[in-house]
Amino acid sequence: MFGKLMAAAMMVSTAQAQNPADGNPPPMRDAVTHDQLVLKLREVSQQNPMAKLTSVVGADPSKVNRPESLLANSDIVCFGGVAVLVPKRAILQTPPKLANRIGMQPGAGFASWSDFYAANRGWITTVEVSRAQAEGKQPVEEMSMDHIKKSANLIVAVYLGGPISVLPPVVAPATEITINTQTP
Amino acid sequence: MKNLIVHLIATGLAASGMASAQTFTNYIRQTQMPSGVTWDASDVVANSGTQLSALAINPGGARFDLWTIRTLPTTEYLLDTSYVSSYIPVSTVNITSEDPYTVIPRTRADRPFTVSITVNGLLNGASDPLPSKSVSFLRHVQSYGVGGTGVGLDRNQASLLSQSSITTNGLQTIQITLNQVPGADRAKVRGEERFSVFSLADYQAPASQLASKFIQIWPVATGTISGITPGQTINFLCPTLTISLSDLYPKSNTSIQCYRGSLLSVTAPQRSATGFLTYLPWSVNRDGSLPIDKLETLSNYDRSFDSDGVWTMELVTSTPFGLDRLAHVTFTIDRTITVNASVTTID
Repeated sequence: MFGKLMAAAMMVSTAQAQNPADGNPPPMRDAVTHDQLVLKLREVSQQNPMAKLTSVVGADPSKVNRPESLLANSDIVCFGGVAVLVPKRAILQTPPKLANRIGMQPGAGFASWSDFYAANRGWITTVEVSRAQAEGKQPVEEMSMDHIKKSANLIVAVYLGGPISVLPPVVAPATEITINTQTP
Repeated sequence: MKNLIVHLIATGLAASGMASAQTFTNYIRQTQMPSGVTWDASDVVANSGTQLSALAINPGGARFDLWTIRTLPTTEYLLDTSYVSSYIPVSTVNITSEDPYTVIPRTRADRPFTVSITVNGLLNGASDPLPSKSVSFLRHVQSYGVGGTGVGLDRNQASLLSQSSITTNGLQTIQITLNQVPGADRAKVRGEERFSVFSLADYQAPASQLASKFIQIWPVATGTISGITPGQTINFLCPTLTISLSDLYPKSNTSIQCYRGSLLSVTAPQRSATGFLTYLPWSVNRDGSLPIDKLETLSNYDRSFDSDGVWTMELVTSTPFGLDRLAHVTFTIDRTITVNASVTTID
């Protein structure tokens, strides 16, 4: 009796695992071997599945413009066991007394910027910048710069509330002056 | 300039350890090109959703990177990346296999899969810039190495198998009969094949990824039954079996089935007869994300054989691809006790 019950249970278990999505019982076969797959690969290699597309010879484009490490391209602000990532160059000023809050601390967990900022408004100040300011095409307003210089808080540049990197000001190329001199 | 509706799905990675959602924080980074300004495009990134990027895209375009960070230990995973620009086509890549697993497309080393590529927005005017008229389609292969799982894989090391050009809008479907992940034993390869669509480089931005998907290739399982030798006659208790299993597919059920008689072919019609097969009281049920090895022993299974005679035992594994016979052994059971005696009396 025990054997029959166990056998029935095993059959049900196996049958459940066997049923594919279409409901038909799956085929049974001997597990495929290396030699069989080598032969199959040889056949397949003669029918290039990419043949319908035009083959191109050239360097691998995936090797360029790959996203670099998120951690390497971020500053970590950490306090009270909670950490947040902001893009490099988003922190405009770090007062010496807050320097120990930059970098990951053991055991800290990550939070979203808005949650972290809401909990740490006392020592973090944000400065809203425009896209042109972030690109360095326009300077950050004098008023903001004064505010930054006088503040004892960590200053983070944000665009619509989200931390954004601020590039150094673009130096306008020197105007080339051409002087035409005519000799009489 | 244009804004972009970001539609990203933070699916899991190859790592089995990606299951616990609380320990991961997702980020979407928008990188403006060519300036390189980076912005956290979304404050809270849910596992799936759609969002309009508020940072208008320059003529040079922008790259959106979807990352997730694990807290302990601090580890980053790049889940997806996509480049968007005013005249660059948009593309999607989808991979399907016989395995209905939804987290990451996956299949086995001997099974086919299908790649679907959709490209929209390709132009064909004589004055249109070249990157608006064509995209590159790449096929990369990469092995995880012996026993590898893909965790911490440096995808920069993937080998480019082919590079093609797509110049027409719409859906293209490619059937891959057999993977080409490198490996000396073709039945035991483990790794991934990646299919990507890239834009062409121009003065605004280098060639950039528009869409990409990968499929994991897991090895074919192997197994042995030891404890009974072929042709052995069992008179008393059945001996303890040792079952050795390698590379059981992540979704599989492995068991031992028995039937009376000599070894049958896998297609023998008798197999479908009701009550023909009996099962030993043992199985390994897998529903995970990685293949595993197992070494198990089995005893006290005598009651599975209800009569004397020749029996065959088959180690089988059931997967989304069907039922595979890994090993078999045929033996004889003779439990009848014959007593040869004579009775004499002194009467």
